[in-house]
Amino acid sequence: MRARPKLQLEACPECDALLRPAALVDGDKAHCPRCGFLLQRAQKNSIERSLALSVAGLLLFVPANCLPLVGIKFLGNAKDGILLSGVAALYGEGMWAVATLVFLSSMLFPLVNILLSLAISLHLYLNRPNRYLRHWMRWLQHLDEWAMLEVYTLGIIVACVKLSSMADLHFGLGLYAFVGLLLVTVALAASLDRTLFWQRIDALRRKPA
Amino acid sequence: MKRLPGALRQGLIRCHDCGALAKQETVPHPCPVCGSPLQARIPDSLTRTMAFLLSGYALYVPANLFPIMTVTRFGVGEPHTILGGILALIDGEMLPIAILVFIASILVPLLKLLGLTLLWLCVFYRWQVNARRWTLMYRMIAFVGRWSMLDIFMISILISLVDLGGVAQVLAGPAATAFAAVVVITLFAAKSFDPRLIWDHQTHDERRIRLRNPRRLAE
Repeated sequence: MRARPKLQLEACPECDALLRPAALVDGDKAHCPRCGFLLQRAQKNSIERSLALSVAGLLLFVPANCLPLVGIKFLGNAKDGILLSGVAALYGEGMWAVATLVFLSSMLFPLVNILLSLAISLHLYLNRPNRYLRHWMRWLQHLDEWAMLEVYTLGIIVACVKLSSMADLHFGLGLYAFVGLLLVTVALAASLDRTLFWQRIDALRRKPA
Repeated sequence: MKRLPGALRQGLIRCHDCGALAKQETVPHPCPVCGSPLQARIPDSLTRTMAFLLSGYALYVPANLFPIMTVTRFGVGEPHTILGGILALIDGEMLPIAILVFIASILVPLLKLLGLTLLWLCVFYRWQVNARRWTLMYRMIAFVGRWSMLDIFMISILISLVDLGGVAQVLAGPAATAFAAVVVITLFAAKSFDPRLIWDHQTHDERRIRLRNPRRLAE
């Protein structure tokens, strides 16, 4: 016996067009026919991939933050820089506002994003309801755009090019971990299918305990 | 030819956080799926966006006039504005990086402010426009904004590495705070602007799209 599907509609977040959701196969993209907004990108094994990538991200987060990223040698003086030392230097010069911004966008928010993705995808993977799931998902969506690892990577590149003319540079192990972390968080953002996650969170909430 | 009505015109409100549709009557209550407050459009979108834009314009001036960092070599200090840093890169024959920094630190913040102002005017004066193209402009503005943080990150790395006392030192200047504020404020401005308002004021949006792009709507 086949249950007759309920008439479901969705609306485009950018132009408010009322649409009938397309049945997506893995790898498909759904665009809004009116404004072209990317509504959904169906991913193969979205929950499992997000879980695996958030574990990988968490593992890479430690070396990326503790090991030196870039070292400099200049007239016999040597100095290594870790991720936090930029924040500390800004704070030391009394620029606490900029220091806070850099700390949030390059360290705290990426970490919180990974932890939230891990918590949500683990609950969905194990089919365990949790009354905080929907709050975590909302936070994740709001914090997502404030994690700027990819911009920070470009900042490292530009800083190195600027310094390369006046000093000897060497790249630390932390830089490799940091680039790995960047790749993992980009893959995580791509694999986390928000539409699917919300559907699963809603289904779990309705599930009788 | 299928017409695409706006959800709000059909009495439906899309939850801003989870995308679930709710009937307009439910409005004082939170979204049944995710618990966030239901709002048909971002509340006071135009007022908020303009407030952020005006602060952005005001801060853009000190961000470009004051030195963003001071490079000291053997005790001789040399303050750089954003533009001065770019010129120094050109002098050092690092043109690609100079172009990159120019785009991220000067062009993007300015185009963001101007673009959002245009979008604001478009909604405020109910211009009849190609809404699809204007929505695309909004989408690009919202996407590129974060890349302006490049200069701030670069400075934080430079001042932590180049700290060799009297030999060589890089210090952040007052423009760094102003510039960081411009970036954050324009990000907030883009976030508080509701692109659906462009569509709300179009009287002939379906016909326009059909004329320009016949295949998109045909089902």
